[in-house]
Amino acid sequence: MSLLRQQGSTAMAPPSVTPAKGLRTPMAGRRPGGLSASTRHKGMGLLLVSPFLLLFLAFLVAPLAYAFWLSLRTSTLVGGDHFSWFANYQQTFTDPQFLSGVRRVAVFGVVQIPLMLGLALLGALIIDEVSSKLAKVFRMTLFMPYAVPAVIGALMWGFLYSPTFGPVNSISNSLGLGKVDLLGHGLMLTSLGNIVTWQWTGYNMIVLYAALQGLPREVYEAAKLDGAGQLQTALRIKIPMISSALVLTLMFTLIGTLQFFTEPRVLEKTASSVITPDYTPNLYAYNLAFQYSEFNYSAAISFSLGAVVFIGSYFFLFATRKRSGLK
Amino acid sequence: MSSSRKPTSRSLRRTAVAATSAALAGVLLAACGSGGTSGSGSTQSGPVHIKVWAWYPQFKQVVAEFNKTHKDVQVDWVQAGVGQDEYTKLKTALKAGQGAPDVVMLEFQELPTIQLSKGLLDMGKYGANADKGNYVDWAWKQASDGDHVYAIPVDGGPMAMMYRTDLFKKYHLKVPTTWAEYKEEAAKLHKADPKAYMTDFGSDETAAGWRQGLMWQAGSRPYTYSASKLPDIGVKLNDAGAKKVYDYWGDLVKNKLVDTQSYATTDFYNGLSTGKYATYIAAGWGPGYLSSVAAKTSGKWAVAPLPQWYAGDNAQGDWGGSSFSVTSQTKHPKEATEVARELFGTSQAAWKIGIDQAYLFPLVKPVLNGAYFQDKKYDFFGGQQINKVFVPAANGIGTFDWSPFQDYAYNTDTSEVGKALQGKSDWSAVNDNVQSQVTSYAAKQGFKVSK
Amino acid sequence: MTTVAAPAVTAAPATGRRPSAARSRVTVNVVMVAMILYFLLPFWWLVVAATKDNDALFSTAALWFHSPGAFLINLQELFTYNDGEYLRWMGNTAVYAGVSGVGATAVATLAGYAFAKYRFPGRNLLFSSLLGAIMVPATALAIPTYLLLSKVALTNTMWAVILPQLLNPFGVYLVRVYVQESLPDELLEAARMDGAGELRVLWSVALPTLKPALVTVLLFSMVGTWNNFFLPLVMLNNDKLYPLTVGLQSWYEGAMIQSGANALFTLVIAGSLVAILPLIVTFLLLQRYWRGGLTVGSLK
Repeated sequence: MSLLRQQGSTAMAPPSVTPAKGLRTPMAGRRPGGLSASTRHKGMGLLLVSPFLLLFLAFLVAPLAYAFWLSLRTSTLVGGDHFSWFANYQQTFTDPQFLSGVRRVAVFGVVQIPLMLGLALLGALIIDEVSSKLAKVFRMTLFMPYAVPAVIGALMWGFLYSPTFGPVNSISNSLGLGKVDLLGHGLMLTSLGNIVTWQWTGYNMIVLYAALQGLPREVYEAAKLDGAGQLQTALRIKIPMISSALVLTLMFTLIGTLQFFTEPRVLEKTASSVITPDYTPNLYAYNLAFQYSEFNYSAAISFSLGAVVFIGSYFFLFATRKRSGLK
Repeated sequence: MSSSRKPTSRSLRRTAVAATSAALAGVLLAACGSGGTSGSGSTQSGPVHIKVWAWYPQFKQVVAEFNKTHKDVQVDWVQAGVGQDEYTKLKTALKAGQGAPDVVMLEFQELPTIQLSKGLLDMGKYGANADKGNYVDWAWKQASDGDHVYAIPVDGGPMAMMYRTDLFKKYHLKVPTTWAEYKEEAAKLHKADPKAYMTDFGSDETAAGWRQGLMWQAGSRPYTYSASKLPDIGVKLNDAGAKKVYDYWGDLVKNKLVDTQSYATTDFYNGLSTGKYATYIAAGWGPGYLSSVAAKTSGKWAVAPLPQWYAGDNAQGDWGGSSFSVTSQTKHPKEATEVARELFGTSQAAWKIGIDQAYLFPLVKPVLNGAYFQDKKYDFFGGQQINKVFVPAANGIGTFDWSPFQDYAYNTDTSEVGKALQGKSDWSAVNDNVQSQVTSYAAKQGFKVSK
Repeated sequence: MTTVAAPAVTAAPATGRRPSAARSRVTVNVVMVAMILYFLLPFWWLVVAATKDNDALFSTAALWFHSPGAFLINLQELFTYNDGEYLRWMGNTAVYAGVSGVGATAVATLAGYAFAKYRFPGRNLLFSSLLGAIMVPATALAIPTYLLLSKVALTNTMWAVILPQLLNPFGVYLVRVYVQESLPDELLEAARMDGAGELRVLWSVALPTLKPALVTVLLFSMVGTWNNFFLPLVMLNNDKLYPLTVGLQSWYEGAMIQSGANALFTLVIAGSLVAILPLIVTFLLLQRYWRGGLTVGSLK
C-alpha cells in the first residue's frame, strides 16, 4: 500500500510480531534481570551489533542527513541553487498541492482504515472460533494477496475495473444500470481503497489472529460456561484483550496510508487525468523529484511528511499506551 | 536542477555528511568483499563501446546492423525503460553525475528539459552540423539551437486520420476533410449506432502530445524558447489555436459524440479493434501500433489526411517522434556522436527494419522521399500506399518550440482537461487555467516569462 | 508461559447447545464464503486471462475461459520473448531475495541477540531509533541513497538492490523480543561455565532456540525483497539486472504506451501469474513455520 510497506516490507512484515508484546518491551528492557550478567563482554556486544550499525548508518542515517541537507537548499531550473534555510518547508505547508494531497489521504484513511481493520478483526474472530476446513481455506485465501507484489495487484484490479471488459461493468450492464466508471473522478478513491483492502486485510487478520491465539483460553471458556454468547465473548473479552495488537495494526495502517503511493502510481498511468501528480503527498514528492527534477523541494516534502508521520505515531503510541494502562 | 555538475560535487565533497557516508559505504563495500562492478569497459584496447538507451521496437536488429558495419565503435544497447521511465532514470543519473549512457533516445518534447539540466552534449562540435540538410526542417530545428546540435532526429509523427472503411460504408459516412464535417459525420454515426463513436478524445497524459499536435495543426505556438536566450521564454498556452481545439473537442465531448477513454488503457485498444471507434486520429507511427493492437481488423482501415479547420488548407501537426542525443557524461564524445548520427542515419538496412518491422516514420529526407517508403503498400490498410498521405502531411508541418518544463506543462494540461471532463470547470477555461499555472511555475523557476 | 502451539488446536467451540448456534454457524459460513469469493476474484481472473490470446483477452467474458490451449503458447512466449529475459529476471529476483533474505536475517539475529544479552555504549539510543527508522518514507530515502551509492559506483549493480535491504530494523526488534522471552540467562551462563566462548554460546545454545523467529524473519525479508518494486526501479538502469516486478512493469509500459508494434499484454498477464506462484506456494507450504513465528509475540 505504501512505499514503506513495499520497500520496508522486509522491515514491516513482522510488526505483526510485536503487537501483543510491543508496548511492553521497553519495560522488559528495564527489568533488572533482563540483561545478561555478561556486561564484561562489552566488546562482544559491539561486535555483534556492528554489521547492523554499519547498515543503519549507511542506509538510513546518511541518506537522511543528506536529504535534510538537500532540503535546506533551493534550486530552480534557471539560476542555480543556494542555501535557503527553511524556505522549502515554509513553502511546503502553504503549498495547495501538498495540502490537498494530505486532505485526500485523510479522507481516504477515515473511510478505508476502519473498514479494512473491521474486516480483518471479523475474520480473525471467525478463524479463532471456527476450525472447520472452510475456515482454513478462508484463512489462506485472505492472506494470499499479501504475497502479491503491489504492482501486480494494482495491475489485476486495473483490468477488473475496466469499463469495457471488467466484470463489475458487465454485471451493472446486464442489470441495466449502465456504465460504472470505476476509474473516473467519482469512484477512483473507492477503487483504490478496494485494492488496498484486498491486499492488506488478510495480513492484518493474521496479526490479530496471532494475538487472539495468545490469549489464555480459560478466561473466555469460563465466560461461555456462564452463558455468554460467542458475540458477547468476542465483544467483551476478546477484543479488549487484544487491544494492544489492534493499536499497533492501526498505527501501521495509518503510517501506510499517509505514505500511500504504489497503487495510485500504477493506476496513474491509465487514469492520468484523474490521478494527478499531486494525488497523494508521497506521489507528489516522487513526481517533484523524478519528473520535475526538483530534488530539493521534494526532499523537504518527504521530510515534512516523515515528521508528520513520526510525531503522529509517537503521540498515538503515547496516548494509547496511557489508555491501555488505564485498562 | 540548474546547478552544473561540477560545483555541486565540489561543495558536496566539502560537507562532512556526504564524506562520512561515502566512507561508510566504502567500508561496507569492502566488508562485503565486492569488487567495483563498473559498466562498459573503457580502458581496454579494441573498439570503443558506446552505451545506448532506447526503446524502439525491433531495435536489437538495428544495433546488430550497426555493429556489423562498424569496426572501431560498438553499440551496447540497454532498454532502460519506456518513455517517462527512461527520462526519470536519465534525470537521476544526471543529478548523480554518474550512470547516464553515452547515447540516449529522447522524444523531441524532452530535449529542452534535458538540455537545460546540462545533460546533453553539443554534437555540433563533433561534426553533426553536416547532417543538417538531411533532415526535415522542423525536426532539425527542434533538435538544434543554431550551430549547437543536441540531437539527431530519428522518427516523427505527422498526424492523419485512420478510419474504418467498412463502418463508413455501413453508415454511409463521408470521409471528412474539415473538422466541421468531422463533427457532422460523428453525429450521424452516433445516431445510427449509439454504441459507436467517431473517435476517442485522449484525455490522459499519454495523449497530451496528441492534444498538443492538434493545437500545432490549429496554428498554436505556445512557447518561444531558445536555450541561447535564457532566461527568456514566451509562454502563450491560451492562444487562439489552442482555444479553438479545446472548444471544438469540448463540444464533441459534451454532446457525447466522442468517447473519453484514456489512451493508455486496454479499453481504448479494444475500442479500436471492435469497431467502437470509427476513426483514429493518429500519427505516422500509428499504423504499427494499430496493426498490432487491432490485428483482427486487418484490411478494414484506410488513411486520410487530417481534417482541416478551413477547407482547402494544408495545416498539419505532429504527435510524437524521437531522436538520439549524446549525454554530457560520455567519455567518448566523438564516437558517441557517430553512433547517434549513424544508428539510423541514412542507413538503408537500418531503415528497412525501422520501416517494415518497427513502423517508424523517417525524418531523414533520403529515406522519407525514397521510393521504397513512399510506394510501400500496407496489407493492414487494404493495400493502400498510406505514406502518400503521411509524407505530404510531414511536409506541411510548421516549426514548433517546446518548453524546458514540458512534463510540468503536459501534466497541468492533463489535470485541467480532467477537471473539464468532470464538469468541475468549463472547457473554455482550460487553456487559461493552464496558462496561468504554467507561467507562474516558469517564473518561480527563474525564467523571465513574456506572455 | 503458555506457548500457544500454533495452528489447529482450537478447542471445539461451536457447541450446539443453543438453538441459535446452528443459524449463527450458517451466517458465519456465508460470511466466509462471500469473503473467499471476493479475495479470490483477482486470482481467478488472472488464471483465466493467462489462458487467452491477445484477441480473446479483449473480446471475451473476463471471468471465464475461452481458449485454454493458448496458455501453453503464452508460457512458451513468456519464457522465450527477447532471449528469455523473463527467466533472467526470475533468476535475478531469486538472487536478490535469497541474498538479502539470508543476509538480513543474519544481521538481525546478531544485533537482536546483542541488544538482548549485552551492554555496550549507545545501546539504548540505537535501539530506540529502530522504531523511528520504520516511519521514514522510502521516497525520502530513494534519492539520497541513489546519490550516495553512485559516489561509490554501486548504482546499477546488484549490490544497489541487495545492500539497502539488508537493513531490517523489525527483524532486529523481533529477535530481541524473542531472545528475551525464550532464552534465559542461566542457560547462557551454564554454557559459559563449561568453557564455551561467546561465539560458541551464540552458535550452539542461542541459535537453535531462536529457530522459529529466524524462519519468520527470513521468510518475510525474502517476501519483502521479492515484491519490492521501488528500490530496484530507482537503482537499476540495466534491464538485465531487473527483478520480476520491474521487468513486468517495463513490459506493461511498453504495451500501454503507444510505442509501436508491442502488444505484450498476454505476456504481462502470464508473467504476473508465474511471478506470484512461488510465493503463494512457499506461504502455503511453510504455513506452520511462519504462523508459529507470528505468534512469537503472543507468548505470555
